[in-house]
Amino acid sequence: MDKKYERGIHLIGRIGLIIGIAFMLGIPAVISAVYDVWPSSITQVMTIGGGLLLMFIPTALAEVISYTPVLGSSAYITFLTGNVMNLKLPCVINSHTLTGTTQGTDEGDTIAAISVAASSITTTLIIIVGVLLMVPLRPILTSPMVATATSYLLPSLFGGMVLSFMNESCGEYIAKGKNLVMILPLVLVFVINLVYPLSGKEGFAVLACMALNVLIAWVLYKKNIIKMVPKDAAPGKSE
Amino acid sequence: MTFLEIMSSPILFVLVGLGVLYILVFCGITLVRSYRHGLAIGLSKEQLRTAITSSSIYSIVPSISIVVGLISLSTVIGVPWAWFRLSVVGAVTYELISAEMTATGAGFADMAALGASAEGASLVGTVMFVMSIGIMAGVIAILLFGPRIMKGVSGLRSKHGAWGALMTGVLSMAIIEAFLPLQLVKGPVYIAVVITSVVVTVLQLFLIKLTGWKWWNNFIMAVTLLVGMASSLLWTNLLG
Repeated sequence: MDKKYERGIHLIGRIGLIIGIAFMLGIPAVISAVYDVWPSSITQVMTIGGGLLLMFIPTALAEVISYTPVLGSSAYITFLTGNVMNLKLPCVINSHTLTGTTQGTDEGDTIAAISVAASSITTTLIIIVGVLLMVPLRPILTSPMVATATSYLLPSLFGGMVLSFMNESCGEYIAKGKNLVMILPLVLVFVINLVYPLSGKEGFAVLACMALNVLIAWVLYKKNIIKMVPKDAAPGKSE
Repeated sequence: MTFLEIMSSPILFVLVGLGVLYILVFCGITLVRSYRHGLAIGLSKEQLRTAITSSSIYSIVPSISIVVGLISLSTVIGVPWAWFRLSVVGAVTYELISAEMTATGAGFADMAALGASAEGASLVGTVMFVMSIGIMAGVIAILLFGPRIMKGVSGLRSKHGAWGALMTGVLSMAIIEAFLPLQLVKGPVYIAVVITSVVVTVLQLFLIKLTGWKWWNNFIMAVTLLVGMASSLLWTNLLG
């Protein structure tokens, strides 16, 4: 990756996050000052928020470690705007599939950044429309039909994404047999979930699956079951 | 003033509006910069437009579900703060949980009780700070460790040739491995919705192959999501 661009993207990302944090803390501070509703002490904030922090810090750390390798530099906007699993990751994975790029390359990283930025702008604008039209939209969006449909967003999403993962593209290579890597982790998550429910711990499950994937891929690669063929030498596309 | 009056005040609307405007500017800068860089490194305009169009179209349906969450969250913490929380970092589930935990942590039965109580207004600052601080771990972690993780992945790839490409290529598979089984075990309606989505995707790919409509690639995810979610109404009646 171009060093100047790389430095720039990290700098802008970090400055962007710091300004985001300033808004997250600044807005409560201004409201507290205007209406004189400051927390009585930092201890009060920590006491009330302690349970919340204990619950979310490990999950948030696991998510950062597991999703950043897939998101690349788009992780800055992703973690600032949220909705990682239902919006940002599917956009990145779908865009990589459609453009034939992979994360870990300059091209893949750029496509990821563009996807997440476009997705975040769309979502932000739709939420603005939602705020402006909240009164007329409320009866429609709170109807039982819409409530049922929205509760099935994730299974619809993962059903749609299955095929995006079942391609053999690996950037400038075609990895023949790559899909075999998925079998054992899928079975293991299924079985472990039967004895130890993983709901709410998906970030940790992703992290464990990543490590397992690398291990299985290494074994299959060494055993020559996965074959890496440069794309320009491959007879046909596999995407 | 009551809790909800402060949480619906014009000044909060203005502050949140500025925060949301900042998000749009930050995303706009990243989009333009990355687009230019994409052209400079040899990505075609078609590839770049595909990434923008497919991501924007796909994002419409999940964003509408966020607006549904906005409506429920706004009854608890007012419209502006719910708007900000769902535009910056938050997700509906986290926000509802964090609001409830903040209320119970302050000694109330739930957020409704806090909002109705006379002392509720004095806790506005506490509620807002707690909700912000509680979600900040991810943002701070990416600030501290993000560059190291990203450089690690691209370094692995460039140093190890074909094996490096395979190693980084299998990382994203973990997403589907960790999430898909957890959806399937939730019950027959979930299984039916997953299968419907797979079938709808296959049908669209077949349509593209048959007609040569490559532009339809931009719509596959959005159409799949919409049909999959709509199918849940049928499956709930048949299997639920």
